Amino acid sequence: MSQSARGNNPPPADETPSELGTVPTIEMANAAFAYEGVVALDHVSIKADAGEALALIGPNGSGKSTLLRGLLGLLPLADGSVKIFGHKRRPGVTEGIGYLPQQESTEPNFPISLRQVVMMGRYRRIGFWRFARASDRSAVNEALEMTGLTARARARFGSLSGGQQQRGLLARALAGKPRLLLLDEPFNGLDQPNRAALLATLRELKLRGVTIVVTTHDLDLARDVCDKVLLLAGTQVAFGPTNQVLTLENLQAAFGDVQVEVDEHRVVIPGHDH
Amino acid sequence: MITLDLLLHFWTMPFMVRAVIVIVTLGVTAGVVGVFVNLRGLEFLTDGLTHAVFPGIAAGVAFASSGGPFWGAAIAAAAATAFLSLLARRGVSSDAAVAVVLVAMFSVGVVIVSRSHDASGQLEQLLFGHLFTVSVTEVIVTAVIGALAIATVLITVRSQVMTAFDRDAARAAGYRLTLVDLSLNVAIALVVVSASIAVGNLLVIAILIVPGALARVWARRLTSLFTIALSFAVLGGLAGLVGAFTISVGLDIPIPPGAAIAAVFVAAYLLALLLFVIVRRPNAGGPR
Repeated sequence: MSQSARGNNPPPADETPSELGTVPTIEMANAAFAYEGVVALDHVSIKADAGEALALIGPNGSGKSTLLRGLLGLLPLADGSVKIFGHKRRPGVTEGIGYLPQQESTEPNFPISLRQVVMMGRYRRIGFWRFARASDRSAVNEALEMTGLTARARARFGSLSGGQQQRGLLARALAGKPRLLLLDEPFNGLDQPNRAALLATLRELKLRGVTIVVTTHDLDLARDVCDKVLLLAGTQVAFGPTNQVLTLENLQAAFGDVQVEVDEHRVVIPGHDH
Repeated sequence: MITLDLLLHFWTMPFMVRAVIVIVTLGVTAGVVGVFVNLRGLEFLTDGLTHAVFPGIAAGVAFASSGGPFWGAAIAAAAATAFLSLLARRGVSSDAAVAVVLVAMFSVGVVIVSRSHDASGQLEQLLFGHLFTVSVTEVIVTAVIGALAIATVLITVRSQVMTAFDRDAARAAGYRLTLVDLSLNVAIALVVVSASIAVGNLLVIAILIVPGALARVWARRLTSLFTIALSFAVLGGLAGLVGAFTISVGLDIPIPPGAAIAAVFVAAYLLALLLFVIVRRPNAGGPR
């Protein structure tokens, strides 16, 4: 299928990265996003290909979540251009994109099973009028298996541990078979086993050609799984391969007067949890 | 004194048959819509819409013919729904907007009623309904409006569930939340309109809110939430109706059926809460 024939649709879920050719998953040129006319983030120029993971790093209020909302089409583009799957971003067109919001966005006492939560990832494909098909149930099972939650599928979502809930929400994002996965602070509050399980899932997704964009304060995570880093401070401070961007100079430029320490193996920003 | 025979054969009385049909219809409608009111935490908005409909019904009774109350209620509900949605879009706090609409519309209704010749009689009928004297036309109107309300929420059911559970994710999935919110508000307004005439304006709030709230105490799944709310709304409504009939006819103490139904609902809710506290069922989804 040619790119022009697809219109604004993402590539089919069964299309392998090699078949996608050289079209970047994300391409932003001098992009700026605004809330009610006030620019919150500007001068962002990045590129991410299939199978790459990009970490968004910066202090609170630096524009990390703004960028995710911009990629989802929830914020107007104030300047520049944004292309996803080779096509101009359009508001409301989110097919092919999976999103994991911060965990506190969910209603904890909701009377719903984990399986029903994961099925939400298929809602847009199911549409208004029909019931879930075998393909929908199969996608849900696969997402549960990938996140290691098959045994907990029937459990009430609110009865799961915080880490299991986070993996459950990731499973919801994966049930839609995304080619681009946006994760907003996915490691916040996770214990070591859940953190390890989530990291393993992200590595597996990269191997399958999924592009991952993750906001985090955790520089170790960025080094572990991310190929590229975008440093933000209301504007783009630096973008490029992880090792080249995570330098003392860049981090101090992004975090201002926060003390940044760099030793042989890791970069530490005192006051941030990692 | 009524005989047991009369009680067992109230099905043969046309006015009771009409009342039963209306209360079962309202039970099904309010049971379904009420679950979404509970899941979305829209109890105060529902209260506001209920009060907003009051002047419409009052004007219908005072100035129009037999269809007046229905059209008055429908126009008032549509105006209030549009106004609340507009204010929400403009960023006005939902509670503040509802409070303003509630006070303004209800006071207009009281002024309209106070200008009529039989103010106290009319006020009682508007507040507590006239379930024992509903006409065939009113039965049909209640059923049609109820079907519209259920259709409105069923068409949008997936977006309603996802928005209630995780509003950010629903927005990110591409749902237009203004439309999702508006469609639920319309469904609530339809139930308010259909129920106001039968069970009365003040008691609509009970039939719309209590079944969902009671179900939420015990339900651990969406399916059980709907099942409990719907069953309770129908059975509780019938219990209140039969209770009012028994007391009114058997003991010769006139009891408005709307008030009896509300009393049954509230008593059952309190009992459910008490049982919940005693049993301490480990259900985090308990009373909100």
